[in-house]
Amino acid sequence: MKIYKLLYTAVLGLTLFGCSDVLDLKPTDKLSGEDLFSDPEGVKLYMANLYYQLPVEDFTYFHRNRDGGTFNYNGGGPNNGGFVQAMHTDIAMHSEFGEGVSSNSWGSWWNEGYKLIRDVNTLIKVIPDLDINDQNRKLLIGETAFIRAYAYFALAKRYGGVPLIDEAQEYSTDVENLKVPRSTEKETWDFVMTECQLAADNLLEGDGSQRRATKYAALALKSRAALHAASLAKFWNKSPVTGEAVDKGLVGMSESAASEFYQQCIDASEAIMQSEVFELFRPNPASPEEAAENYRQLFENPNGAPQEAIFIKGSAIIGNDHTANNYEIWFNPNQLANGWPHPGRYCPTAEWADMFEVYDTPGVSTKLSTVVDGNEEYEGYDPDREYIKYDTPHDVYKGKDARLWGTAILPGTIWKNTEIVIQAGFIKPDGSTKFLQGGSTTVNGVKYYTYGSSSASGHSGFNPAGGNHTRTGIGFKKFLNEPVDVNPAWNQGTLDFMDMRYAEILLNYAEAVAESGLGDQTLAKKVLNDIRKRAGHTTEVDLTSENILRERTVELCFENKRFYDLIRRRDFHELFNVRDRHAILPILDLREDPPKYVMVRDVVPRSDPKTFEPKWYYRPIPGRGANGLVNNPLY
Amino acid sequence: MKKHVFICLLMVFSSLGVFAQTSKVSGTVSDKDGVPLPGVTIVVKGTTDGTVSDVDGNFSLSTEKDKVLQISFVGMQTKNVTVADDSDLTIVLLEDMIGIGEVVAIGYGTRKKESLTSAISNIQSDEILTTTNSSLAQALQGKVSGLQIRQNTGEPGSFDTRINIRGFGTPLYVIDGVAREGGSGFQKINPEDIESISVLKDAAAAIYGLRAANGVIIVTTKKGKQGKTKFNYHGVFGIQSPTDVPEMATAAQYVEMVNRARVFSGLGPAYTDEEVANYQNGAPGYEGTNWYDETFKDQAFQQQHNFSAQGGNESLTFFTSMGYVEDNGLLKSDDLGYKKYTFRSNVSAQLTKNLKADIQIAGRYDKKESPAESFFMIFKATRTGDPTAKPYANGNPQYPSQLMPSNQNPVAMSDRDLVGYNERVNKNFQSTLVLTYDVPFVEGLSLTGRYSYDSNSGMGKRLGKAYKLYDYDADTEEYTGYEQFAPTKISNSWNDYSLVNFQTQISYDKSFKEMHNVSATVVYEQQSTFERWASIQREYDFYTNDQIDQGSLNNQQTSGNERERGSRSIIGRFNYDYKGKYLVEYAFRYDGSYRYHPDYRWGFFPVVTAGWRVSEESFFQDAVPVISNLKLRGSWGIVGQDAGDPFQYVEGFGTSGGGGYEFENGVYQTGASAPSIVNPALTWFESQITDFGFDLGMWNNALSFEFDVYQRYREGLLAKRNVSLPNTFGGELPEENLNSDRVRGFDLALGYRNNVGEFYYEISGNYNYARTNKEYVERGPFTSSWDYWKNGRENRFDDIVWGQTVIGQFQNEDEVVFAPIQSGDGNLKELPGDYIYQDTNGDGLVNGNDMLPQFYNGTPKQYYGLTLAAQWKGFDITALFQGSGKYTVRFREVYASMFAFRGNTPAYFYDSWNQNEDGTWNEGEWPANRYNTDVGALYAESEVWRKDASYFRLKTVDIGYTFRNHSWMKTIGVENMRIYANGHNLITWTDDFVKPFDPEKIEGAYSAGLTYPLTRSFNMGVNITF
Repeated sequence: MKIYKLLYTAVLGLTLFGCSDVLDLKPTDKLSGEDLFSDPEGVKLYMANLYYQLPVEDFTYFHRNRDGGTFNYNGGGPNNGGFVQAMHTDIAMHSEFGEGVSSNSWGSWWNEGYKLIRDVNTLIKVIPDLDINDQNRKLLIGETAFIRAYAYFALAKRYGGVPLIDEAQEYSTDVENLKVPRSTEKETWDFVMTECQLAADNLLEGDGSQRRATKYAALALKSRAALHAASLAKFWNKSPVTGEAVDKGLVGMSESAASEFYQQCIDASEAIMQSEVFELFRPNPASPEEAAENYRQLFENPNGAPQEAIFIKGSAIIGNDHTANNYEIWFNPNQLANGWPHPGRYCPTAEWADMFEVYDTPGVSTKLSTVVDGNEEYEGYDPDREYIKYDTPHDVYKGKDARLWGTAILPGTIWKNTEIVIQAGFIKPDGSTKFLQGGSTTVNGVKYYTYGSSSASGHSGFNPAGGNHTRTGIGFKKFLNEPVDVNPAWNQGTLDFMDMRYAEILLNYAEAVAESGLGDQTLAKKVLNDIRKRAGHTTEVDLTSENILRERTVELCFENKRFYDLIRRRDFHELFNVRDRHAILPILDLREDPPKYVMVRDVVPRSDPKTFEPKWYYRPIPGRGANGLVNNPLY
Repeated sequence: MKKHVFICLLMVFSSLGVFAQTSKVSGTVSDKDGVPLPGVTIVVKGTTDGTVSDVDGNFSLSTEKDKVLQISFVGMQTKNVTVADDSDLTIVLLEDMIGIGEVVAIGYGTRKKESLTSAISNIQSDEILTTTNSSLAQALQGKVSGLQIRQNTGEPGSFDTRINIRGFGTPLYVIDGVAREGGSGFQKINPEDIESISVLKDAAAAIYGLRAANGVIIVTTKKGKQGKTKFNYHGVFGIQSPTDVPEMATAAQYVEMVNRARVFSGLGPAYTDEEVANYQNGAPGYEGTNWYDETFKDQAFQQQHNFSAQGGNESLTFFTSMGYVEDNGLLKSDDLGYKKYTFRSNVSAQLTKNLKADIQIAGRYDKKESPAESFFMIFKATRTGDPTAKPYANGNPQYPSQLMPSNQNPVAMSDRDLVGYNERVNKNFQSTLVLTYDVPFVEGLSLTGRYSYDSNSGMGKRLGKAYKLYDYDADTEEYTGYEQFAPTKISNSWNDYSLVNFQTQISYDKSFKEMHNVSATVVYEQQSTFERWASIQREYDFYTNDQIDQGSLNNQQTSGNERERGSRSIIGRFNYDYKGKYLVEYAFRYDGSYRYHPDYRWGFFPVVTAGWRVSEESFFQDAVPVISNLKLRGSWGIVGQDAGDPFQYVEGFGTSGGGGYEFENGVYQTGASAPSIVNPALTWFESQITDFGFDLGMWNNALSFEFDVYQRYREGLLAKRNVSLPNTFGGELPEENLNSDRVRGFDLALGYRNNVGEFYYEISGNYNYARTNKEYVERGPFTSSWDYWKNGRENRFDDIVWGQTVIGQFQNEDEVVFAPIQSGDGNLKELPGDYIYQDTNGDGLVNGNDMLPQFYNGTPKQYYGLTLAAQWKGFDITALFQGSGKYTVRFREVYASMFAFRGNTPAYFYDSWNQNEDGTWNEGEWPANRYNTDVGALYAESEVWRKDASYFRLKTVDIGYTFRNHSWMKTIGVENMRIYANGHNLITWTDDFVKPFDPEKIEGAYSAGLTYPLTRSFNMGVNITF
């Protein structure tokens, strides 16, 4: 009797658990291809990942190699120390570390690049079979071509000629068949051009949000890539290298190719200009002050400037997902740290500030006036030198181009309702000085601190404690959001990035025309001056290389363009040959009553001179053991 | 019945003995605690004459003078006593060291210790309870051979001590017959509930199939016992303090060091000579702040209480207990701490003559609280905080001060009222019903059904409050506040986990002709788990209270997911032994897992073991009588271990793992990732484990020695076949079962127990040494023999670290100039006092190519433990020494670079090379004080920074006195009572540099060494049975 009960229990138990097989479980995160691509929303889901991988050098671009990759570095460990690529050029420094020009200035982007190419090729392969109308099919052809062009451009500018893989390879154990040799640099750039044109021919104007490929985004990409290729062809011989890769044309192009690419740049740029879809954001400011604020707002909210933005990469935090960045925490001045331990890292240099025109003397870079005799070629304080005495620590910047004011936090100016204190020391009434060290002195019953306030939290400059204070005398605000205080935590910045904007196209056009003699000189001069006019200039300058390059540097500063301008024009090794970068130190002169400021030029405290080695114009080819490719010269 | 006849016969014989020249002998037999031992056999050696002690341990018999009585009892050391005149003997038997008769859990069954043929260590409750700690792992450390235990942190409520069997990896934990806990759940088990823990160290683990390649730890909880109900109360109170904390520079040292560093940085000194002198003299206002002392207490309080009852009758027995543990943190704010409540009830009911039910129910509630700032950040702030600053602006406790570097004031950060809090609550419920049916018509056959249901739910809550740090301006008498961590945020998270386990088991156990002992067990098991979690977060526009509904509706964040797992298995085990001399066992598990492709999901894991009890052979007993026990044994088997993520065989586009994109402003689109190449054949690793060992007992098992050598050869470790695929392919190959490695080692345990009169002592020790060798490592071809030497991994130990060779310190500037280039800066930043690295390849440049393999990594290769115990009258003492060796520690950041984060720096760096104003140098132990941007290759990997952390420590001392048989105890109904005092982590012997960091502790996040200090504790306790 009882045995039956037990058996009954056992059998019941087995039935209960045996009826659904406990082993037949399904993953919760996988989807079949048919399910995904049968609906435009599914295509969009896949597109999201392709755009995510697009090598856009935005706020989440980290020029050095690290875990998690060069792009979207915040997807992995977001702590990149607050380094940006501009700190490898003449226009900026890091507040704490001696970041500078080195082999580390631009990391590799190879495996990730070919992954994106494979991922987009996977979609390209199924486009003909998708059950969609021809219009949508054309759009997909255009959009995938845009992505592929973008990827190959990013490869070409790093490596020269690369293997051109235009369809997703089938995996087989016969790996020899999977190996593709490098194409020449010329062929590679040609491929980028063809893909851009394919995209432009198939895409439409877009819905105005500018966040997906459009006809004009494709043309803008072509304009940029063509200018890069043309410059390489024209200036390659400024820093020639030799070796197998050169002999085979894998790096380097003949100078004769230059005009061909310049023409493509001109054509693509003209197509955008003539479309009349775009114009400069607030092109006619009433005053330099208004121009400065217009310029700042353009970057604070590119969505408010659809007439200028051609391609935007968005940043968002929705729920726990994000494409957000860390500019707000790394770069807000120390006084606004909000608990974040390492703010204030982006320090524009004195030479960057010097580069801007003053309104009185258009057409030349005018150095900031610090000394009475006008000889600004000096380093360090000299008591025998006669310094100009300013009422405020930012008066020295008066009359400078509005974009300087729109980009930088200058000493003693207001940011987020706080006066940003940047001071490097004082000169006591007896003429003795205290620079770059803590301390105070009392004059006429008033206590003065070397850094401008008693505690390190009350100022944003020069205090070496924490490495959180600018050490050039200039703070950074171009891509910071003034009305919004983000959480002091990783990946909270949601400012959107204009990857391509109309001003760049105009500058590309002007440069291509000036360098090649092709195109419309008058139009080129006009568009160059249009940009200056938007910055509050009222007098025109001529279409010269110098004017264009200065304009390019100041207009596009900190948009991750300067580094490539120095690369493509082969200027880097000349600019950085045991080169120091400079600070401009606001010093309170207590000999005056009321005290005044003198500004002292000096080498950036705690920094070293840097040199660019010519071989760094190309990155070494990774993984040659398996891909069998020819390496770039001198690696 | 037979026994009674025997005793009667003995009595008859002894009464007859009067007629021979006999003397009458009587006496009592007890154990060392004075508890009478009934049923002890007393035999006149060389004869069949003898008797058995009665229920009070008394015996008497008649024998001739000078004869030797042999007194023996299972599990006790046999004693020989020579008969003298008028003998009235008091005989004390000590437990033998071998554990004869001890029952050991082996997985799906038990075995007597002497019949074991595989490497299984066993530890009983009383040995576990000699250590007082909130973690069970600490109570096991150093006590079990081959069980490698390393405490990562002393943080209350942190149960992440590393437990590793023989260097294999994280083991499987089986609690009362079900694989149901991870490492932290195991460490939370109330030690008072544990009857025994056994550790399957070799291929015997194969019966747990593809989760058991790292060995298995089996916990058996206490059951009821027939007899009068015994109540037990055990309470202990203690104080804990850090074993050591590295000293940071004082204000006086700091200002001097900062001045030195600034000079090397090309800046002027920050502090005037007068200020430096003031700090050195501690002038008013210049006292300096010790941030550690401001933030931490000297000691924290802990207490544990446990109440249990055990008893029963023939039809029902029970064990039930309730426990409470409180472990407080060292923060002065008292805002860090841990509490745990446990409950267990194990009831056995004899339902009918042949049907027995065991109902085991256990519950646990625990809660960890801490300030919203992590301990790491608080502790770091005490390390880096400027010692010349003050905790409060103007000394006003209303206004916590701003503090350089990085605005982190540890006093403020540790205050939950200011910064908010973190709370983690865990509720755990485990239940098992076991029905055992002894089939009446087949002797030795029984059927068992086991059904378990477990539930675990965790709830986390975090409130991160915005707060202000202040400056005080003495001139204006104003406080300026700087906002920190705005906006205030609140989050809740939940996870819920259920486990259902079902087993049916058929067992057969029978002896034939008292020679052939046969047993067999077959089990069907299936297990399913289900898990769901979610979390929510809101921000506050204005903080009201700590409820999620009060937060703003903007910027809400949510997430959640589910996971299911399942397995089914058939297990078999077959034993045969001949007269207990020749033992063989064969066992297997046929294991199926949801993780793998249906065609590749079933694995078969067999094990064969054999043993020979040499000491049972009569020829051996005669030849070597001093050896009372000798068993040779060996085992071989295959065990599996799950590898990689589940469902790797499923092709398709991924809805996770792809990046997202903002196609529309403010609308984030999640992305789908491209299909990867799948490997349907992906499967588990397989470990072949081989073990040879012997157990030796001498002098009636007063001495025991166990020795095992073992090897684990592991195949099918995951690697990507990335060698040959060109990196332009754009896809990654899936993981495949390609690599292999091998662990080899040995462990041994030695014990000796004896008495001198009423003084009993015991010494036991254990040692384990193991290293892992890579066998096959998938990779591309080497480009040169140098590449092979430098980067090859195959057939090499996996535990070697490469570093620069330090050949001295620069003595002057000339040496710097003429030395090989030490770093990328071309020796521009090297100074006298800096380390000179060997230019091994002689190319004039010191870089990574000059490194040599010269250090062990951070994982200990050897573990040792030594226990000394003694007892005299009511007093007892146990001392446990423990240590590990052959490994290194390497700190980074604060402890291994000067002025990391530009804040305070360890005091040891004060003794450094420094330069006089005339440019001459004073020697010091460390290189010159500099900021980390002003050093060259100073912090390169070398013997300077990577230190041997081998240590030996007095882990536990436990001293007690037990009251027994006092008349006052009878009056109040107390059976016995022990009062004791013990200490934990008392004395440590190790490298002088490493000691303040505690060598046992790992470096932790960023290798910064900023984990919670290990603690030394002193405790007083009482244990009453009534």
